[in-house]
Amino acid sequence: MAAVASGPLIAGFLINPIAGMGGRVGLKGTDGQFEEAVRRGAVPVSQDRAIRTLTLLRGANIRFLTCSGAMGEDALIESGNKDYLVVYHSAEKSSAQDTIAACQAFLSRGISLLLFCGGDGTARDVYGSVDNRVPLLGIPAGVKMHSGVFGVNPAATAEILLRLSETSFRESEIVDIDEEEYRRGVLAPRIFGIARVPYLPGHVQDRKWVYEEASEDRAKAAIAQFITAIMRDDTVYILGAGSTTAEIAAHLGFEKTLLGIDVVMGGRVLLRDADERGLLSLLVGERRAKIIVSPIGAQGFVLGRGTQAISPRVLRAVGPENVIVVATPHKLRETPVLYIDTGDTALDREFGTTILVISGHGMGQRKKLLHPE
Amino acid sequence: MKTKITLDEGEMPKRWYNILTDLPAPLDPPLHPATKKPVTPDDLHAIFPMELIKQEMSPKRFIDIPDEVAEILRLWRPSPLYRAARLEKALKTPARIYYKYEGVSPPGSHKPNTSVPQAYYNMKEGIERIATETGAGQWGSALAFATQQFDMACTIYMVRSSYAQKPYRKIMMQVWGAECIPSPSTRTNAGRSILEKYPDTSGSLGIAISEAVEDAATHDNTNYSLGSVLNHVCLHQTVIGLEAREQLAKESLYPDMVIGCVGGGSNFAGISFPFAGDKLTGKHKEVDLVAVEPSACPTLTKGIYTYDYGDVAGLTPLLKMYTLGHDFIPPSIHAGGLRYHGASPLVSRLVHDGIIRAVSYHQNEVFEAAQLFARTEGIIIAPETAHAAKAVVDEAIKCRESGEEKVILFNNSGHGHFDLSAYEAFLQGRLEDYEYPADLIREALAHIPSST
Repeated sequence: MAAVASGPLIAGFLINPIAGMGGRVGLKGTDGQFEEAVRRGAVPVSQDRAIRTLTLLRGANIRFLTCSGAMGEDALIESGNKDYLVVYHSAEKSSAQDTIAACQAFLSRGISLLLFCGGDGTARDVYGSVDNRVPLLGIPAGVKMHSGVFGVNPAATAEILLRLSETSFRESEIVDIDEEEYRRGVLAPRIFGIARVPYLPGHVQDRKWVYEEASEDRAKAAIAQFITAIMRDDTVYILGAGSTTAEIAAHLGFEKTLLGIDVVMGGRVLLRDADERGLLSLLVGERRAKIIVSPIGAQGFVLGRGTQAISPRVLRAVGPENVIVVATPHKLRETPVLYIDTGDTALDREFGTTILVISGHGMGQRKKLLHPE
Repeated sequence: MKTKITLDEGEMPKRWYNILTDLPAPLDPPLHPATKKPVTPDDLHAIFPMELIKQEMSPKRFIDIPDEVAEILRLWRPSPLYRAARLEKALKTPARIYYKYEGVSPPGSHKPNTSVPQAYYNMKEGIERIATETGAGQWGSALAFATQQFDMACTIYMVRSSYAQKPYRKIMMQVWGAECIPSPSTRTNAGRSILEKYPDTSGSLGIAISEAVEDAATHDNTNYSLGSVLNHVCLHQTVIGLEAREQLAKESLYPDMVIGCVGGGSNFAGISFPFAGDKLTGKHKEVDLVAVEPSACPTLTKGIYTYDYGDVAGLTPLLKMYTLGHDFIPPSIHAGGLRYHGASPLVSRLVHDGIIRAVSYHQNEVFEAAQLFARTEGIIIAPETAHAAKAVVDEAIKCRESGEEKVILFNNSGHGHFDLSAYEAFLQGRLEDYEYPADLIREALAHIPSST
């Protein structure tokens, strides 16, 4: 980037203040669900995640063009970044229209890169506004993270900007899924476009792939057969999202909420589409519990994306040693590194630097585990 | 400092060492699969020559190597013992590393140490043909070489996927005059019934064993031969350790550690049993014997010590050994020779009794050690052997940290010239670190009420 060598990097910066609120309260995205999320007790998360990135950028040679209030300025002040200019004033309750208009304001002033904080919906709105005119980089804060424009976590996003002269650019898909369909259990990703993204290997997440082939089905069946064979009647099993855990449920004789979290014990379903509160209510006393999760597509997130109901409190109640990760060999081939980003870095570290993933009947693979913070 | 310590042909051991006689209590006998009673020599005689059956249960501490066998073994024996000085230097270790190199045999591994005597004893009893199975082809090529030396016919059932994907071992067998058949085949009832149900199957070692045993049992002129696991196979391999002990003695040394890889257990038995005997009889109580296996198939480190079948179908006698269960199908790691659910009853017993300890490693770290070995000592070793090399590297690093000048001996059981595709996968970052989920399995098993 020429801007880095000659003067400050001029970067557009905006936050979608409501992104990610649906996750911990069991909604699968916040698009059109803001009131319901608030009613269920959701609190804003994107502000905190943006501040974590911005704090690491304090003192860097970057000039931010941003929006007023919760859409950008508040976080810049909070993180101690002084070199910024508010070029767009948003309404108190911002909307997708504000995101689009802010992007246009950035473009008219001239920027070298656009940094945003949100989820797939935000990425879609940003890309819809700026197209391929500037590179994009996302601070991950959404419920769904299928696009390939996000840093693997807030710290990694900052790292990319701090080492911009070392990065190369690659094309990455902007993907979103229909949230209405998603809530009904239908996973149908749609590519909205191809953005340019600064890239440091291991710091930008890959687009999530959905694998559908015959041998995958056999592999899933083998995993499900093994997991059900080792299940104990005195243990609560929390099944995370995805088709591999759905196959485990099928072997137990029930249909799983594909994208939600279900709980079983002794062959009975205790909870369907559980949220954090529901999970915690089951984990009282000395009850034995295990969490069975599958990494999300090529991104490789074991915990932290699409599984927010399995929160740090839930994980501590169950114990990191009682997390069983499952994935088919094909999915693992496309996922060289796994990530855990629960939002609690001390907890993330308790998982260690490698993790065993059950990939067949009585068989697993030892994979590298990153939590770059 | 000598790079190679060699013995003259006349110094080659004249007798094999039988560790059975030095065990503090007898080995639990193999059981008949139908009656669950100890097998008798007659039970085994349908497929094995009587001399090998006697060796399987022999009360003699030493058994003479027949002249006709020794004459062929001398084509490559005594094998050299190398000082791995370049590896030591790279590791900056005060440890002294020695390795016995078995890759100098015509088939390129330790396997002909037993295929030659097995072919010989069969020939002496009038057997004209030997049937066996092979996975990646190391054992098949060793038996093809041995039967050819005694003008015998040889039929090898090779797992179909290997037959198609690893053609060079198959060509070696054919050059030595053996018939190599992809298994399952239409030659046997076992093969036909599998093909009827699964016409596109890629085969397995278990199926190939069933075919070879059936072939031997249904032809009077034909016997069956096994390349590992059984006591007589371990016995024949003891020439490795006996030579190594003599070679080290020439330098006035005795090893602090002896290391080898374990699949069925024969190459490890070969290098370690003479030293295990010294330990059992109190001559060298302190020698540390280390068996190395893959994390994907961790029989000795994670299995249970019990009676189990030697094959998938449950046709063989029940053997008391460490096992992951005869229905366990290990994943396709590149060290194909270490993919076995059980282990030699003798090696198992010594692990159980604490004479030998076992460790396990993942594929990628094993290939890293193999690459280091190739870049220092020059030899590109077999993926199986690389497991031993990894343990050697780890132990040498421990010596660097502690300052100990340990003498480490390991068995470099064969070269990896037919395994270059595995090295390619390693270099391209395509190797998976398979691992047996022992804790989950143990936890689940512990909860199952005992049926007894």
